[in-house]
Amino acid sequence: MRYYIKKIVSLIMVLFLVILLTFLAFQVIPGDGALAKLGVDATEEAIEALRESLGLNKSIPARFVDYFKGILHGDFGISYQYDQPVAELVAARMPATLGLALISILLIVVVSLPLGLLCSKKENGTVDNIITLLTQTLMAVPAFFLGILITLIFGLTLRWFMPGRYVAPAEDFGAFLRYMIFPATAIAVPKIAMLVKFLKTSVIRELKLDYVRTARSKGNTDRAVLWKHVLKNALIPVITFMGMVIADVLAGSIVIEQVFNLPGLGRLLVVAIGNRDYPVVQAIVIYIASVVLIINFIVDLLYQKVDPRIRLQ
Amino acid sequence: MEAAKKLLELNKVSVGFPHRGGMRPVTENVSFSLHDGEILGIVGESGSGKSVSMLAVMGLLSGNGKVMDGSIRFYNKEQPEEYTELNKLLKGELRQICGNEISMIFQEPMTSLNPVMTIGAQVEEMLTLHSTLPREKHKEEVLSMLSEVGLSEVEKLYDKYPHQLSGGMRQRVMIAMAMILRPKLLIADEPTTALDVTIQAKILKLLKKLQTEYGTSIVLISHDLGVIRSICSRTVVMCEGRIVEQGKVEDIFERPQEEYTKRLLAAALGKGEIIEKREIDYQLAPVVKAENYSVFYAEKPKNAQQLGSTLAERLKSIFAGKIRREVVRGVSFEVYPGEIVGIVGESGCGKSTLIKGLAGLNPLTEGMLTMEAKHPQMVFQDPYGSLNPSKTIGWLLTEPLRLHSIGTKEEQRQQVLEMLKKVGLSEEYYDRYPSTLSGGQRQRIAIAMAIMLKQKLILLDEPVSALDVTVQEQILILLLSLRKEYDLSYIFISHDMNVIHRICDRVMVMYHGEIVESGKTEEIFERPQHEYTRKLLKARL
Amino acid sequence: MVNDMSFLKKSKKQNKSDNTKNWQLRLGIVLVSVVTLLVVVGLFWTPYEPTAMSAALKNKPPSLTHPLGTDYMGRDVLSRVMDGAGTTFFIGVATVLIGLVLGTLLGAFTGYYGGIVDELLMRLNDTLTSMPSILLALVFVSIIGTGKYNIIIALGVIFIPSFARVVRSEYLVQKEMDYVRNAKLLGAGNLRIMFVHILPNTKSILLSTITIGLNNAILAEAGMSYLSLGVQPPDASLGRMLSEAQGYLLSSPWMALAPGMMIVLTVLGFSLISENLKN
Repeated sequence: MRYYIKKIVSLIMVLFLVILLTFLAFQVIPGDGALAKLGVDATEEAIEALRESLGLNKSIPARFVDYFKGILHGDFGISYQYDQPVAELVAARMPATLGLALISILLIVVVSLPLGLLCSKKENGTVDNIITLLTQTLMAVPAFFLGILITLIFGLTLRWFMPGRYVAPAEDFGAFLRYMIFPATAIAVPKIAMLVKFLKTSVIRELKLDYVRTARSKGNTDRAVLWKHVLKNALIPVITFMGMVIADVLAGSIVIEQVFNLPGLGRLLVVAIGNRDYPVVQAIVIYIASVVLIINFIVDLLYQKVDPRIRLQ
Repeated sequence: MEAAKKLLELNKVSVGFPHRGGMRPVTENVSFSLHDGEILGIVGESGSGKSVSMLAVMGLLSGNGKVMDGSIRFYNKEQPEEYTELNKLLKGELRQICGNEISMIFQEPMTSLNPVMTIGAQVEEMLTLHSTLPREKHKEEVLSMLSEVGLSEVEKLYDKYPHQLSGGMRQRVMIAMAMILRPKLLIADEPTTALDVTIQAKILKLLKKLQTEYGTSIVLISHDLGVIRSICSRTVVMCEGRIVEQGKVEDIFERPQEEYTKRLLAAALGKGEIIEKREIDYQLAPVVKAENYSVFYAEKPKNAQQLGSTLAERLKSIFAGKIRREVVRGVSFEVYPGEIVGIVGESGCGKSTLIKGLAGLNPLTEGMLTMEAKHPQMVFQDPYGSLNPSKTIGWLLTEPLRLHSIGTKEEQRQQVLEMLKKVGLSEEYYDRYPSTLSGGQRQRIAIAMAIMLKQKLILLDEPVSALDVTVQEQILILLLSLRKEYDLSYIFISHDMNVIHRICDRVMVMYHGEIVESGKTEEIFERPQHEYTRKLLKARL
Repeated sequence: MVNDMSFLKKSKKQNKSDNTKNWQLRLGIVLVSVVTLLVVVGLFWTPYEPTAMSAALKNKPPSLTHPLGTDYMGRDVLSRVMDGAGTTFFIGVATVLIGLVLGTLLGAFTGYYGGIVDELLMRLNDTLTSMPSILLALVFVSIIGTGKYNIIIALGVIFIPSFARVVRSEYLVQKEMDYVRNAKLLGAGNLRIMFVHILPNTKSILLSTITIGLNNAILAEAGMSYLSLGVQPPDASLGRMLSEAQGYLLSSPWMALAPGMMIVLTVLGFSLISENLKN
């Protein structure tokens, strides 16, 4: 129990730290929100008035307190560019990004786990060599280039989908899925290659350990050794790796949304950076960072569920 | 013994491993047989092929190792004429026998159990795989077997994981697992090597007991002649993949025929023959004098009580995040010029911590310590870790001279070359890297490094424990000759009473961080006063 | 016993695996050398001026005169790839250098000394390394701006923690080794132990971290430039070329394929080397 409390407290502290650091980072930029919003041509009085109304004349600590209080109420400020609450903007863009991430992760898990196990059985054979080279090559393809290739092959040549014609899930869920499977594949394929390789290395490393010899000496079949003894041990490091992959998938979607013209958080972020729309940038950074931290938190909990050696600490 | 039935017979067995595109044999023409109900010892140094031969019996050779030639016959107990040729069996057929009729325990109890399976599940797996016992009786059977091997609170143990157990307990679990089906043959591969001496003796006793009770025959593989002698009736001596000699234990130990066996015996037991005696002048000023000397470890506190009793103490340990644990508790002793003082005790008794304190590697010490040597040097147990792998031997031996700006570059080189000769290595080693040296050669380099600075006191932390017996002998002789040459004093840590007996002038016995007994070596060995010392000496053979 | 013929028979499996290792390593070296050669040559000479436009040569497919075709402005794609890869490489190397030098120093000191500073820094480090690097890079550029040098600073700083982590964990292991104790007993100072005794032993792990770092830098730069948040005109980079090419995917796919394949081959080359060097 103490373990959980400790973990939760440290998660909350780190989340707070992320908010603080993000807030501070954007204080370094010369010029402020009022200037960014009205442009350099605005009159001194207009800027001053806006500063007053946005609370920009307060000291940095005071502004942080305001900002933090706002976040607790789900208020991330007003976008300079769209003149809309940031929270609403983010919420509107969420379905595309979330959908993309979920489909990608599903693809990764469903494909890589069985494939990884299959590959681990073939150590040093011709099949193994082909698989190794293939995974290495796929890992070398940047997701956005893969996205471009997919657009070229499946979109423009084979016409399986119309590049750029995103359908919102609320409108037509089937069409949404049919479109999303392509960007999701672009994100998933390099990660699948990574995971297959990782799983294979993990299983092969475990197979060399003493307890495997013990298991074999008991008269277990090779299959039983793999499934009953090796698999659980081999999957422990995969959990951590999976956490990293999920974080990467989120990051990958920032770029992939651009390739497939998806109205997601990534595009919002890129456009906001281009337009110096800092409230939006801050909010999205805090959001993605929090998701990553929470995933890590879950990974930690899972880890100590699966690995009895950690429980006693 | 002539009437005894054969159980296992190896006939001209050669085992090979793939090497550079071919098969390289690691054992050649190994032939011996095991009779029903006996304990057979296989003894040899590392790399002699003793484990490989028995792994071949179980079909457990790692990599792509194979039985290249010969036959392994496992006889039917009831029908003496019938046998199964194990090396010809299909994998599936061999699996029926493995675990069931032949089972095995391994050297490393720390790693030989599956870390994520409970003890109960791992022992029970044997029943699931081979036994016809109804499922609901499994747990009962497992629990009774666990108590049979001397484990207590078996109910709790059933649900525990291996990392919650000590090494000795794990080895008992391994034995329980191996014996639960009452196999006809148990192969024990260095079952006590990773354990403390006092626990070693208990495990051997347990094996002996199970052998008598269940009528199980045992093949005991060990590099330790003492272990072999204590429970085996016959023994096979192996060297470099061949059998050198085999016979009854009494015969082999009393009247060894082969040169190699004689050397092995002389080095290992030699009845603790003293290599060289030297008169020590106890009137001289001691090179080390410790009074009420304590050494501490900084540790993470496990509970609030450990933080300390007074407020100041508590604040201090909370702030540091660590507490001090007294590992060596107020010991007092002296070491005189030219003397070799041995420290014995099992792992965790504080003997290593003590000399690390003396060497200045652990700054958390209390009490009086006067030492003549400014930079007492140390030789460590593992010659693979004590030499920096990325430097040449020449660089390593020059480093002490460089650090203290002794001599010009050319003089330094001369000194190093001379030192190489002193420790019995030729000049060509100057440009070689540690990875190209054998364990014994590395230990010679480590000793040379310790002597380079010409300090009178050298601290030796199990300097020969990681070495094969015949190499041990050479290193001990080297240490003695260097003592004479450079007028050195040694503090010599060992868990091996024989080694201590052979070269130490005086012995201190450490137990739970205290020196419980000390005195001249012969006195301690002939008239041990303390209970623990007696135990140590008894565990010896 | 050696007259047994099985001894002479080659174990096919083992042999093959060794050969593939070599073969893959060789392939990696060949790929990296070819790419490096292109880049180095590109510094001094390209078949055409990378920025020379020609209305007559717009969107021409690969031919003998333009091996990789021309782009929508009639520029020679091969020349542009050589030029762009140069920028990408420069950013990669500069980034890794920053990460390597500062990360090694940080990792060495924290790993060797430990203590409360180490603990705090490592907490921060863990949080930072768990964040996707492109997110951090985007935060950086939105604060310090885009452009070649800002990307180098941003990625360089972002890579420090990962180098520091690798070096630190290596130091944590190495400092407990007996050879370090030995050096202490001989009277070596802490700095000497850290950088003369321990550092050479981290070389193999550093080597693979460097190749992985180069790959990550190349991929990150390409991604950022693709988003138009990286290298800015007139500098060319592989990512920028891809981003420009996307609009002409149907009419001239070679514009995208050339820089894309360049990235893939470079990254593949480095990872084949680091993978097969390890064993």
